[in-house]
Amino acid sequence: MKSLTVELNGATVRYEVEPRQTLADFLREQCRLTATHIGCEHGACGACTVVVNGKATRSCLRLAIMCNGQSVETLEGFPNDKIMEVLRRHFHESHALQCGFCTPGMLIMARDILLRLAEPDAQTVRQQLSGQICRCTGYANIVDAIVSAGKALRSQRAALP
Amino acid sequence: MSVEGGGKGWIGASLLRKEDARHLYGHGMFIADVHVSGVQDVAFVRSQMAHARVVQVDKPARHAANVFVLNDIQPVKILEAGPELSAHRHSPYPALADGRVRYVGQTIAACVMPTRAQAEDLADQVHVALEELPAVVDVVAAMRPDSPRVFDEWPNNSYISTSVVEGNPELLGSAAVRVHRRLRLNRQATVSLEGRGVLAYWDHRLDELVVYLSTQGGQVKRLALSRMLGLPEHKVRVIAPDIGGGFGGKNRIMPEDIAVAAIALKVRHPVRWIEDRREHLLASPHARDHTYDLTICAERDGTLLGIEGDIYIDAGAYALWPTGAFQEASMASRNLTGPYRMRHLRLDAHTVATNKAPMGPYRGVARPGATFALERLVDEVARELGREPFDLRRQNAVTAAELPYRTAAGLKLDTGDYIAALDLAREKIDLPAIRRRQVAGEPDGRKIGVGFAFYTEQSGHGTVEFMKRKFRVIPGYESANVRMLPDGNVLIYVGVQNHGQGHETTLAQIAAHELGIDPGQISVRYGDTAIGPYGFGTFASRSIVFAGGAVGKASRALAEKIRRIGAHLLQTDVAAIRIENGMIHGPSGKIGLAEIAFAANARPDQLPTGMDPLLESVATYEPTESGGVFAYGTHAVVVAVDPDSGVTEILDYVVSEDCGTMINPMIVDGQVQGGIAQGIGTALYEEIPYDEQGQPLATTFADYMVPCAPEVPTVRIQHIVTPALTTEYGVKGLGEGGAIAPPAAIANAVADAFRDIGASFNETPLSPRRVSEAVDLARRARGGQR
Amino acid sequence: MKSAPFDYVLARTVTEATATLAQDRRNAMVIAGGQSLVPMLNLRMALPDLLVDIGRLDELKATSATQEALQLGALVTHADIEDGAVPDPFGGLLRKIAGGISYRTVRHYGTIGGSVALADPAADWPVVLLALGAAARIASPAGSRSQSVDDFIKGQYATSLAPEEIIVGFDIPIPGARMRWGTSKVVRKSGAFASSIAVVVEQGDGDFAAAALGAAGPRPCLLPTTAQGLRSRAPQEDLRAMVADDLTALALDGDPYLTRLHTSTIMRAVREMRQR
Repeated sequence: MKSLTVELNGATVRYEVEPRQTLADFLREQCRLTATHIGCEHGACGACTVVVNGKATRSCLRLAIMCNGQSVETLEGFPNDKIMEVLRRHFHESHALQCGFCTPGMLIMARDILLRLAEPDAQTVRQQLSGQICRCTGYANIVDAIVSAGKALRSQRAALP
Repeated sequence: MSVEGGGKGWIGASLLRKEDARHLYGHGMFIADVHVSGVQDVAFVRSQMAHARVVQVDKPARHAANVFVLNDIQPVKILEAGPELSAHRHSPYPALADGRVRYVGQTIAACVMPTRAQAEDLADQVHVALEELPAVVDVVAAMRPDSPRVFDEWPNNSYISTSVVEGNPELLGSAAVRVHRRLRLNRQATVSLEGRGVLAYWDHRLDELVVYLSTQGGQVKRLALSRMLGLPEHKVRVIAPDIGGGFGGKNRIMPEDIAVAAIALKVRHPVRWIEDRREHLLASPHARDHTYDLTICAERDGTLLGIEGDIYIDAGAYALWPTGAFQEASMASRNLTGPYRMRHLRLDAHTVATNKAPMGPYRGVARPGATFALERLVDEVARELGREPFDLRRQNAVTAAELPYRTAAGLKLDTGDYIAALDLAREKIDLPAIRRRQVAGEPDGRKIGVGFAFYTEQSGHGTVEFMKRKFRVIPGYESANVRMLPDGNVLIYVGVQNHGQGHETTLAQIAAHELGIDPGQISVRYGDTAIGPYGFGTFASRSIVFAGGAVGKASRALAEKIRRIGAHLLQTDVAAIRIENGMIHGPSGKIGLAEIAFAANARPDQLPTGMDPLLESVATYEPTESGGVFAYGTHAVVVAVDPDSGVTEILDYVVSEDCGTMINPMIVDGQVQGGIAQGIGTALYEEIPYDEQGQPLATTFADYMVPCAPEVPTVRIQHIVTPALTTEYGVKGLGEGGAIAPPAAIANAVADAFRDIGASFNETPLSPRRVSEAVDLARRARGGQR
Repeated sequence: MKSAPFDYVLARTVTEATATLAQDRRNAMVIAGGQSLVPMLNLRMALPDLLVDIGRLDELKATSATQEALQLGALVTHADIEDGAVPDPFGGLLRKIAGGISYRTVRHYGTIGGSVALADPAADWPVVLLALGAAARIASPAGSRSQSVDDFIKGQYATSLAPEEIIVGFDIPIPGARMRWGTSKVVRKSGAFASSIAVVVEQGDGDFAAAALGAAGPRPCLLPTTAQGLRSRAPQEDLRAMVADDLTALALDGDPYLTRLHTSTIMRAVREMRQR
């Protein structure tokens, strides 16, 4: 076992982990943060996407111990995040989820996109989402939600003094 | 009877979903999220050979007690699966192997350890000695007399072979136009993003077995578990939490479910198994794998006459309880005339055992295959006759005036306007513009093609239809328990299982419509055999017809009682009472629904003399005709294809569809778009090939391609609304329709792109290699021109 | 789908990393971004006893550009390159390639060094580095060495890397003015490994040209006849014949589809370059 200290959703936590434990398993089984879903465990589906040191990453492709001293954010860590709030609203209004299993990973990825690319168009969003599988919606409404969230954020920013 | 006034407007409203919030905040509770103290994880030891005798299983001495083979979980009864037909051969499927393994991935032993990683460590140490037997891999070869057998005691490898003979098939031999093709949809997985999973423990307080199961229908699974484990049903509680997609793949009782539940009876702690993606691709129910060897016959004027030939369904090594895979063959045969006036059929359909994972249902069941075969053949006839394929469809499709129409194979197509759907799709895709573009050519050297496919989607079928299919459990009705609480808010319990379909919203809309209240005052609950009424679950596009009907019926019974109480309290006649916006209005006064609810629940003294208290109603519902109602539509797609690399890109996708009355059009569109994404997967990407030894070659997403956002266009959806006559509100089910037509429409589009050289595309998925090879073959046939 | 157990050390310096690799008797593997290795661990296809994490070695992140060469640290991520966080003196070629690797989340942590060290025959970076004539800088307890990427990659998942060695970075010669390039890649779905990937570059007036192809055999390869055709400004149809010569030399199992596929990607890359 190795000692692991991470800043998890803003709070410093310390756990003992096996080196083989992925960040996904660490979050779910030890921290009981189950918004991070596991869909493939080999980096192809995006359901387990979280933020490590500010970058969206697949928590199944990162060993927990590799995150020692780093910051980790899961969907549970964004209750009041402005961008996430706008995304949630647009996911809801665009009917961008059905079973909900891909949704946390989609939201984390969508936030990552909107942080990097101001007001992306549909084509860009589609390319950016190429690693996120949704088996229910056929993606169209997810793309719409992210595009319109980008627009809403842009106009919010424009409205600021 | 429906409520006047305030109830209006909820049927047909694109109400935003009530179930979204929990998922948007990460509060969903899926099977792997269920936390039970002391739970241990299971990893299965699975067969690495397609067909073998299990000679020996050596448990590592240090952890022998943590390894379970079949003997360690007994007694477990095997239930016969498949249709209730004496001709259907029994394929006993043990939860853990009984001395024989019949596909790669079959469960041999279960290893139980505190974590999944440790369980896998243990599984790696279990030594299994297998003695390899010849594998049955090719479905057609499997039917030859010299083929090795999957089951020694069977006379051949057919679970069941059936014939459909309708009309006068002798006429077909002399038809002016006979087009023969061999068509194939390859094997695929269902790929719910959440895999299967089961968690089981004995609850000592309630003295019952609790089984959390990622399932589309818990009641039927309880029935199976109770019989298999020899426990009375009231001692088995099945709980389905949030389900991360099912699509048919979570609607059979599976060996892992049984093994984990049986182990829970042997150990003193909860056990769980969470399917990983490799296991999903190896051993979850597989789908499609249809082979058609058909000849379509027509007159020179384009009149379609009929079809003859053989259908082979590669059903894999075992029939899954309850129904096996027979409905693939029976439905494919019966749907092979599509919407056309074709009266002559002679089909032999074989449901074949092979050394592959067992087949289960998958969105569309049989019809993606039948539609692919039929609609490809119609295009090939058109090409043979030098006709525009669209025109041939229009010429042969049943007209609105001819509906209801009984097809050659006995399906009663009910309401709608098929020609209108065809024309609408043609108009929206702008066929003439594409034909002009094709003449102009593409600057990048790619070829443009346009394809159409028409589909029908049977739904709302009940007792009569499932008796025809010889189901062991006849899902002939659905039920709802509607309960108004003392404050006037409503709880509804149903037997269907929401796993993305939006039942919490649409069923609330129906109840709100009947009760004259806001959907926000209604909670819809399901997924726990301890609290819900008996029901069959969510599959076969049945929920809105059956559960919607049951909710409507139960709500109306409640509304009637509310009116009677209201009449009593307002001292007027029931006939003069109406419910509107949560108020009960009489001729000279009104009273709040909450007051009536309070009286009914907590103030029996205020009720009319002799009236029973409570506002609670249980109703079951089946449409007045149980042969089903038919949603339908036309898919039209434009593709660009690179002839050399064989890569196909979808440029435009139009659907014109009619699913009768839409309770929630937003959710309807979501189902259509999502179904099409899966259909695109079948058409272009998804495949589990097997090698000659029966080894599956796509066991991770590195090899199994699931379409993502760049692969799936935004579909332009057009609606026609023709209410059904035999269902509540005129609804028709529509969950599967999107997945039915894409393989046919896309293959027709690719074929259209190369119609000048006569290339034929008769196998899905249309992978780059298959497309390029078909083009090359056609070019060679035309003298090697490039 | 959980990894078998292993031990883990976080290296604090290159010297410490290579010393650990040299001294530890166990089956050790190096991990950087982990984007290829962790799936293999999860699938139990990789079974190390020890992982040496080099992901925090700042020495491997250093990047600099001189007149002659771009020096890229091995730990530079695909996303760093895609976003232009490191210089791309090749007219956007590196950015284009980086942006097409796998998925953005993978690009955030996947490194160029890891990609080359794995030597997946369908990977993107080896093809580009081959076309650009890049060399790998490699450290070991005995010191450091440099080797052309062409020589470094030996075959499918096989390199000249000794167990105690790690890649420190890459030296990519910077061309003179008027460099042009073209790329083409066929994937079975967005983000999947290439079924075929071609990169062509040329500079000046026939001074230099190179063509490289990936996913066509056990290792990516240079296409010498095609390169010659590019230098001599061969017209498209003549070039197609030269491509055919190169592909014949590759002996693609006599598979005509692969010949069509690779011909198509190479010719598309050439067309893209010539249209620049």
